[in-house]
Amino acid sequence: MELHGTQVVKYVLFVCVLLALLSTSAVCGKRLHEKIYESFFGGSCFRRLNGTHQTGCSSAESGSVGALHYVDDNNQLEFLLNSPPAPPYAAILKSDFFTRPNMMRLKNEGGRNITAVIVLNAFNNYTGDTVSFSHELKCPNQFSGILKPNSVETSTCSAMRPEDTWNPWGSGLLHEDFPFPIIIIPDNETVVRLIECFKRFNSFDYENQHLRSLCAVEIKSFMSAAVSTEVCWRRSNYINNLAQTRYCDPLEGKNIYATLFPRKIVDVEEEDDKRAAQVDRNEKFIMVTTRMDTTGMFEGVYGVGAMDSLTGYTILVSVAHTLSRLLSDKKQLQNSNLNILFMIFNGESYDYIGSQRFVYDLENLYFPKPSTHTAPITFDNIEFILDLGTFDDITNIKLHTLSEFPQAKTLLTKLQKYGNTPKYDFNINFQSSVGYQMPPTSAQSFLRKNLSFPAAILNGPPKNRFYHSVYDDGANLKYNYTNSSLDYTKLMGQNDALKYFHSEDVQMKIRNVSAVIAMSLYEMLAGKEYIGEELPSPVLIDEILYCFIKSQNCPLFFAASKPNSFTKLPLIAPNRYISVNRDSQEATIWTYRIMGYLLSQKIPNASQENCTQLPKYWFAGYNKKGECGITTQNFSLALSPAFIIENYNWSSGEYSTWSESTWSSLSSRLFLRPSRTHEIITFTTGIVVFFISFCLIYIISTRSEVLFEDPGPNASTDALNPPTAC
Amino acid sequence: MTLPEFFGCSMIAFGPPFALFVFTIARKPIRVIMVIMAAFFWLLSLLASSLLWYAVVPLRGVLAFGAVFSVLFQEYFRYLLYLLLRKFEEGLEAVADDRTLVDNKHVLAYVSGFGFGIISAMFSLVNVLADLTGPGTLGLNGGSESFFTVSAAQALSICLLHIFWSVIFFNAFDTTNYIHVSYVVGSHLFVSLITLLNAQQLYAASLTINFIVTVVSGILAFSVAGGTVRSFKRFISCQ
Repeated sequence: MELHGTQVVKYVLFVCVLLALLSTSAVCGKRLHEKIYESFFGGSCFRRLNGTHQTGCSSAESGSVGALHYVDDNNQLEFLLNSPPAPPYAAILKSDFFTRPNMMRLKNEGGRNITAVIVLNAFNNYTGDTVSFSHELKCPNQFSGILKPNSVETSTCSAMRPEDTWNPWGSGLLHEDFPFPIIIIPDNETVVRLIECFKRFNSFDYENQHLRSLCAVEIKSFMSAAVSTEVCWRRSNYINNLAQTRYCDPLEGKNIYATLFPRKIVDVEEEDDKRAAQVDRNEKFIMVTTRMDTTGMFEGVYGVGAMDSLTGYTILVSVAHTLSRLLSDKKQLQNSNLNILFMIFNGESYDYIGSQRFVYDLENLYFPKPSTHTAPITFDNIEFILDLGTFDDITNIKLHTLSEFPQAKTLLTKLQKYGNTPKYDFNINFQSSVGYQMPPTSAQSFLRKNLSFPAAILNGPPKNRFYHSVYDDGANLKYNYTNSSLDYTKLMGQNDALKYFHSEDVQMKIRNVSAVIAMSLYEMLAGKEYIGEELPSPVLIDEILYCFIKSQNCPLFFAASKPNSFTKLPLIAPNRYISVNRDSQEATIWTYRIMGYLLSQKIPNASQENCTQLPKYWFAGYNKKGECGITTQNFSLALSPAFIIENYNWSSGEYSTWSESTWSSLSSRLFLRPSRTHEIITFTTGIVVFFISFCLIYIISTRSEVLFEDPGPNASTDALNPPTAC
Repeated sequence: MTLPEFFGCSMIAFGPPFALFVFTIARKPIRVIMVIMAAFFWLLSLLASSLLWYAVVPLRGVLAFGAVFSVLFQEYFRYLLYLLLRKFEEGLEAVADDRTLVDNKHVLAYVSGFGFGIISAMFSLVNVLADLTGPGTLGLNGGSESFFTVSAAQALSICLLHIFWSVIFFNAFDTTNYIHVSYVVGSHLFVSLITLLNAQQLYAASLTINFIVTVVSGILAFSVAGGTVRSFKRFISCQ
């Protein structure tokens, strides 16, 4: 027996070796689902809610599955909408086909046949003037601006007259609610994979699609919030005896501000009524404001907002930097009580979250917050507000005011004067626009509270075809990084600037606007005309744009941090969507740092040990050796007051109510979906096998005596023999 | 794998064993216990073979190695089970109210074979089913759509084979018929190694061969258990 056993083993080993040699590829450690599914990345549309509605998309809870269908002309769209053979489908649209009419047809006529939409990048080299891609409303922030009497709609823009709107190319899809998930594929490799899969399995013999396996996708982006912020906020705050579940988070960020001159340090009382006494009535501020954020429809694939907000942002930083160099000493001021407050609001794309909160804080004497040890500010402290809007066309700029007020008039004459001074050759045309035709920017939050508030908005005519979209990037702005490696903290004369930049470069155009604004403000502060040669540095503008358009791993961000705090920063632009509190808030952190660095007054010969207490801060500096500066920047909360007011009426429209639904996963994968026929065949076979075996075995078991009647020669029904060997 | 496919495959693989269970085992508690015990022995064999696979690092990637030793372990544990059952036969006689278990040795063999078969089929298929929770089927990166049906059929054949093998095997030791023992070990190895062809998607070939072996083993087990052409004819003609 043992001998026999070893022989068997030997023989078997021989066979096994033979087989192993024959099939070297036999080994596959892969799990089966890896062979079935291929994950891919897509930026997913998600659900946002306001006080009364939900917008965006959500998949089914277990994921939405649809067979791919590439829609590149209207015939294909008709095919999908008129009882297609193998529903449900996932429509692939090129980005130039991702238009409002098409999407509304898919939503309204598609019914249950359409379970997902995939958007592919088609604008690799967009130059044509016919192309546009903007999902924002034609009137951004339509319901939160200056109001007409007895109306909830803003009076500064009317969607009925597209030629007068602030975003004429807007499709408004960002504010629609879709019953299916939508994802955008930023990566060309994935685009190719999807289209190849579609061509290989789906794009032939369309009538018989239901008879074969089709290439399909599953998109998981289930949103836990529904109906409106009111509902999900109530549900989130309902604490049962176990744990709190969050269904939605309010959009929340930080506003960054900095003053031109440091303010007096005082101890601020915590109690409201005592704080009022601490307000310094003599202190006056000119506020220069802009917004920090941009937005987009797809999570993870936000645009950098190059034209829609970054130009204004860059102008503000450049103006602030220029003024801090030109007016480094308070003695140069005509009125020593006058200061400039540079304010960068967050969340302005979502019904002015930042500026609404700022106005609310001013009303409650809670700005700046007591922990900054500076006196609270009221509306009376504000001389006027100069708001920087969008600058799509940097040579034709309008100064918008609701009604005429003296400071605006003075400002306009100064802007016009410097804009056309032959010596500087800026050639910028400033015009005045008085009336309700106001661009959708932060100043509207102030004017909404008080129509006679002195607020002026600088804004160019809308020319951005990619407002709030992923294509609003460096190419849209026609920006190329010059990388001159010069010291961007120094101002630069006209001749030097022209050595490194062409006058048509976007850096120079932005510099020109900032120069005009800076000079005008200089004149208002110092009381004398600016006649110097020093102008804002296009190098600084080049660096700011590089940091926010191309990569965080940029010299300016290193200079504005502590020395050696990073070795390498992410090679992508910081995310400028406001997002929720738990998010990383990259753009806010960097804005805070560069405002601190660029506005700080350097203390020469200060050592690092003596530079640890704010407002002193130890920066790496341009040459990375470390330098000490007196900083003035700080932050305030940009969270809509709606979320802190008790029993707020969510449908009143008074404050922004935007919130973001939570989700557990965003994922998408590609696979073959079995045909209905195949499923039915398998199922039927199973049923048949099941019943046949039941019948057969029943018969055998009832008649087993007949079947096994003869024990046969080998049978051992007697008492057993003891086992032999072993 | 979609829901209809899931149920289809499950019923192909487990429908016949379920029917066997319902009509021949479920009514007698002692048989159920025997089935569980046999399944436990099969699991022990799996543990042993996995330990071996884990220990022999260089051969971890070679499926054939694992398969061969797993088969040998299974047969060895089948033998251990046989020894155990024979040893405790008297005790069994005392507890069992089911006289057939003691009177007809083949019933014991059949029941323990069923335990082996059901657990082995479960292990080969549940693993596949578990990976298939989702809407997709094979075919995107190679692989055939019929994979699941083939796996299910394979699991069914393995389950039936274990029943036949146990009947032949137990009887062979009772009657010291080593040709039958070597037939069981040999055909088990053969069937396991043939399934390696599935890697090249020769499903039809491997499945046909497996079912031929199943039928041959079935006939052998039938004759071992006392079936003859005559009794089969009588069975068919309902006499």
